[in-house]
Amino acid sequence: MEYFEMKAPHPFGRKRRVHERVIETTLFIFALLSILITVGIAVILVRESFLFFSDPAVRLLDFFTGKVWQPMIGLFGFLPLLNATMTTSIIAIILGGPLGLFVAIYLAEYASERTRGILKPTLEVLAGIPTIVYGYFALTFMTPLLRTLFGETNVEIYNTASAGLVIGILILPMIATMAEDALVSVPKELRLASYALGATKIETTCKVIIPAALSGLSATFLLALSRAIGETMIVALAAGAGPKLTANPFKAAETMTGYIVRISGGDVSYNSVDYNSIFALGLVLFVITFTLNLVSRTVSGHFHQEYD
Amino acid sequence: MKRLLVISIMLVTLLPLVAGGKTEQNTTTATVNNLAWLEGPGVGGLPEVNPLKVSGSIITAGSSTVFPLSERMAERFKQEGYSGAITIDSIGSGAGFERFTVAGETDIANASRPIKEKERANAQAIGRKPLEFRVGTDALSVVVSKQNTFAKNATKQELAKLFSTANTWSDVNPAWPNEAIQRFIPGTDSGTFDYFAEEIFTAKAEPMLSANNLQLSEDDNILVQGIKGSPYAIGFFGYAYYAENAGELNILDIEGIQATSANVDNGTYPLARPLFLYSDASIMRSKPQVAAFIDFYLSYVNEEITHVGYFPANEQELQKGRALWLEAMDGIL
Repeated sequence: MEYFEMKAPHPFGRKRRVHERVIETTLFIFALLSILITVGIAVILVRESFLFFSDPAVRLLDFFTGKVWQPMIGLFGFLPLLNATMTTSIIAIILGGPLGLFVAIYLAEYASERTRGILKPTLEVLAGIPTIVYGYFALTFMTPLLRTLFGETNVEIYNTASAGLVIGILILPMIATMAEDALVSVPKELRLASYALGATKIETTCKVIIPAALSGLSATFLLALSRAIGETMIVALAAGAGPKLTANPFKAAETMTGYIVRISGGDVSYNSVDYNSIFALGLVLFVITFTLNLVSRTVSGHFHQEYD
Repeated sequence: MKRLLVISIMLVTLLPLVAGGKTEQNTTTATVNNLAWLEGPGVGGLPEVNPLKVSGSIITAGSSTVFPLSERMAERFKQEGYSGAITIDSIGSGAGFERFTVAGETDIANASRPIKEKERANAQAIGRKPLEFRVGTDALSVVVSKQNTFAKNATKQELAKLFSTANTWSDVNPAWPNEAIQRFIPGTDSGTFDYFAEEIFTAKAEPMLSANNLQLSEDDNILVQGIKGSPYAIGFFGYAYYAENAGELNILDIEGIQATSANVDNGTYPLARPLFLYSDASIMRSKPQVAAFIDFYLSYVNEEITHVGYFPANEQELQKGRALWLEAMDGIL
């Protein structure tokens, strides 16, 4: 019912000071600006993608079902790019998800104030490393490591596994922080009730806290997934520079973001269908991440309703 | 009311952003008077340049093959006193021409192939007439990893198979192992790609682009990394990138001919190709620093080119460029 609560009447009645209005308007404009920018991006993406899809050489069905992406010679199947994007993102979530969750559980349930004080800032440092550094880390550390472990003949120099694992490290701090928030916001009563029934700490964590925080945790993973899908620099450096439809993560394959980087770095001319293709891919990426974010919001909204 | 006004003003200022228009215009201000850098006669009829007296920025973009050479010339230009800013973008010949002839953003286009008719027409449309300055010669290098012990030489027919239909090395030559070929080639906007397509596939891009295990990049260092990584990888790029990584790469002889300076000079190496700068008389006249840089380039390129890993162009070709420079600057010197 709080939505219908009236604002307290202003002490000076209607005669508010001019500078207050100026400040209010300025703040309002900045808030509006961020919305306008988002709308602007969406408009450009849609408009330029329309140029791509309205080209007679491009058939919508081929775009979604074709197995070869080579716009220069008129092959517009985006499955290889989608496949590579999914491979790197899923590898990233497989590594980053559980690790991040363990870190979050430790921070929320077990860590003393002192260890928390050391661990949290360290995690934040990890989150602050530029992704280009992660990219070279993948190329000069992760790839050689994979090649020593699994054999040079099996692991190509550019491969999606290496990029995926490093994206996993990249999203770990994000998952840890958000998952911790989800765990901490579980009402204290549930914890105490569980202890009162004689449950140990681990039982309480696994059987009470995590199920109670499940929607918040799912929202975390969805957001992290959307971050991994959008990651660009790491895949551009380490995953490979040629579209290839393969299920083998040790082979080179180019992701959607990787392709966009390569093309905008000077691969083709403006106003050609291959140039416009990057906007179509951008739109696909936008739709995927937007949907994931939306779903994640709905899921976490559900969570708040339950306990507030 | 007022708030509405503020919002509408903001919308108007944002509009160009949302509309995504290219707002960059060619704002060459006439600074013809600034020719203080001219100093007496220099190399091959060109006036001597005093880089200390050159000011203003120079914008160049194009071939990644020409890039190391232009970078070296720019460094020397700066060492001798040039205090302005010079940008050299390594984005491929095609993209370089695009910026020079369509967007008109650059003063000089670096290219590892001659300009195409279509690009010339584009330039005409924005009032530019591209002038071609030959600066050197490259021996396009087909390279494999040092770990590759079997491939030493390739004929043009073998190259055609290696970079298109063949799946394994043994498909090309029965003496080679039955292992999948991993290909690392320059991107489609690169002059090197065009040149290779021209020489090996009669100017068609399809065979190369439909090959298996293909990786494309405008960044030759990415190609070098990839080729180093496997004994079954192969790729090609400008000789300078081979020279820089000769410790880890092997260069193949083409039709039994080695890429040596003698073979490039006498034209027997089958993949020798010219390297160019392109500019325009009106740019050189309105931005004299561009004329100064080209003058400097054409005067001293032969002292630097072998250090970068390319081969000097023949003297006649260089002289042609110098004559063109004088013609472009005629009347204001």
